[in-house]
Amino acid sequence: MERLINSLRFRMMSVVLIVLAALLPLLYLSVSAIVEEGYAEQFVNHVRSFSRLTADELEAVSDSDFEQRAAALLDGVMLTGQVVYSEISGGPRKLQSSIPSAAHPGQRHDDFAFGDQGDQVYYISHSVKRGHRAVLLRLGFDESPTLERIAAAKSRVLTAVLTFTLASIFVSIWLSAVIARPMVRLQEAAKRVASGDVHASLQMRSGIREVQELNHHLESMRQGLVGANERLAEEIREREVSERKRLDLERQLLHRERIAAIGTLAGGVAHEFNNILTPILLYSQLALNDTPADSPRARDLQRIVSAAHRARNLITRILTFSRQIDSQGPTDFSMQATVEEALTLLRAIVPANVEIILNAQLEEIMLSGDPSLVHQVVINLCTNAYQAMSRTGGRLHLRLWMAVERTFESGWAALLEVTDTGHGIESAAIPHVFEPFYTTRDVGEGTGLGLSVVHGIVTSMGGKITVESEVGRGTTFRVYWPLAASSSQRVAAAAGRG
Amino acid sequence: MASILVVDDEPDVAEAIQSVLEHSGFNVVAANSAQQGLAAIEQQTFDVVVTDIIMPKVNGLELIRRLRTGHPRIRVIAISGGGSFGPLSLKPEAISTHAFIAAARDAGAEEVLTKPFDMDDLLAAVRRHLPN
Repeated sequence: MERLINSLRFRMMSVVLIVLAALLPLLYLSVSAIVEEGYAEQFVNHVRSFSRLTADELEAVSDSDFEQRAAALLDGVMLTGQVVYSEISGGPRKLQSSIPSAAHPGQRHDDFAFGDQGDQVYYISHSVKRGHRAVLLRLGFDESPTLERIAAAKSRVLTAVLTFTLASIFVSIWLSAVIARPMVRLQEAAKRVASGDVHASLQMRSGIREVQELNHHLESMRQGLVGANERLAEEIREREVSERKRLDLERQLLHRERIAAIGTLAGGVAHEFNNILTPILLYSQLALNDTPADSPRARDLQRIVSAAHRARNLITRILTFSRQIDSQGPTDFSMQATVEEALTLLRAIVPANVEIILNAQLEEIMLSGDPSLVHQVVINLCTNAYQAMSRTGGRLHLRLWMAVERTFESGWAALLEVTDTGHGIESAAIPHVFEPFYTTRDVGEGTGLGLSVVHGIVTSMGGKITVESEVGRGTTFRVYWPLAASSSQRVAAAAGRG
Repeated sequence: MASILVVDDEPDVAEAIQSVLEHSGFNVVAANSAQQGLAAIEQQTFDVVVTDIIMPKVNGLELIRRLRTGHPRIRVIAISGGGSFGPLSLKPEAISTHAFIAAARDAGAEEVLTKPFDMDDLLAAVRRHLPN
């Protein structure tokens, strides 16, 4: 109800109706009054001239047969049908028409007010000179025909006013609809825009200039908003992307810095250990030289030597992790040959319940650098893999092929994939697997260096390594190495032909 | 009998090398700094000098260079504290094993051994560089 009262159409119609209600009765009353006055004046004028003429005739009547002639005059007046009462008084006796007056109540005062007293008769008197004395002519005119004409005119006025009222109402309904329609449509469109459909156009057809202009301004406002909205969304997207990139870089940097710091530490520790190991190794070998080979002392000394050698190997691994490549100059070597060589070693130590499979691309893949480093990567990855399956058994699958890698300069990489069917890595541990000394194995089972050595070697060779793992299903390491120039030229040429 | 000077700022290392070499019949003098080593060279002649490279004050490379200019007949075996094989980087500015080897060879060392080396490797290296 409130919505209806507040609506534009209702308000416009109300205004029109209120104006009509105030104006139309006024109009009707004024027009009626004018009509009534006009008719009344006409009637009165007519009555006056009629009675004047009658009075003039009466004046001209001769004295001899005055009564007879006067009565005949009155009869003649009555016969016109306009006069309903006539008398002449003031003479020796009162004269009246012999024609009976239809609606005459008798003696009346002069009545100059038209339409008064409800008897619909208008009385008028004239004094007529008869020699030295005067008689009074009194005539009563029938008002009813004039009253009827007035009533008819009034009813025509009323009809016209009512017709005008109805027409005004219809016009106001039509006009308010014409004005309100574009506003209502605009409102609906605005509602759609507000509810999120910002691409709903606010452009409406309307013949009203103000509505057109309002429409035009709103539409350009909407388009401006849509543009601003899109720019904002784009900006937010860009910021999100750059923020993600920044976080990514930050994480990588942190990771690299941590590894570098630990590497520096490990390098320093290794240097000291090498100094300490030197006298241990030399003295035990010196003592071993002086001891009979089959004596228990010789066996003990040999154990010291072996332990020192093991320590030396461990330090080598630590140093491999911390070192940067500055070898005597890179050489080109075959990936397939290096991986196969490492597998030959591995087959000797991998338990029988672990099956080793190698699928390598037939075409030779050449890398540039130090083959012993690749060798070590393969050994370390495979060692981790078979250890993850040593209790349950499983399959160690190596795949080697040339793959597209857009982040590398040549666009190609040697991709080595090492997959095991072992226990897998907890997702929480995955970000840490390449950190030095991080191990999930029990104390004594692993140094926690294997994967960090792998990471150090791969990144120092300009490559990258990824890991994918699912607990209970197994783990896949993918190592991407940049190809030697000879291989990347060949593959580029082949791709170009393809 | 060949005489050998061993220079290493770690007394344990210098003594161990001295013991091994003396046991094989060489005349050995051990010094714990490059200055000590240079002073010993002023007093007697040596056939071979076995010297560490990273030492405080005067380092092994400087010692080798002085020997090359002052005593060209003395053969030099440099020993480094790197890994048994492969390059080494202690700090960004530090020298890797390969850089060590290259620097020692540039300075004039005949041979470079990395610690910890086996007794036999040490003896073999010394013998290679003795006259006859």
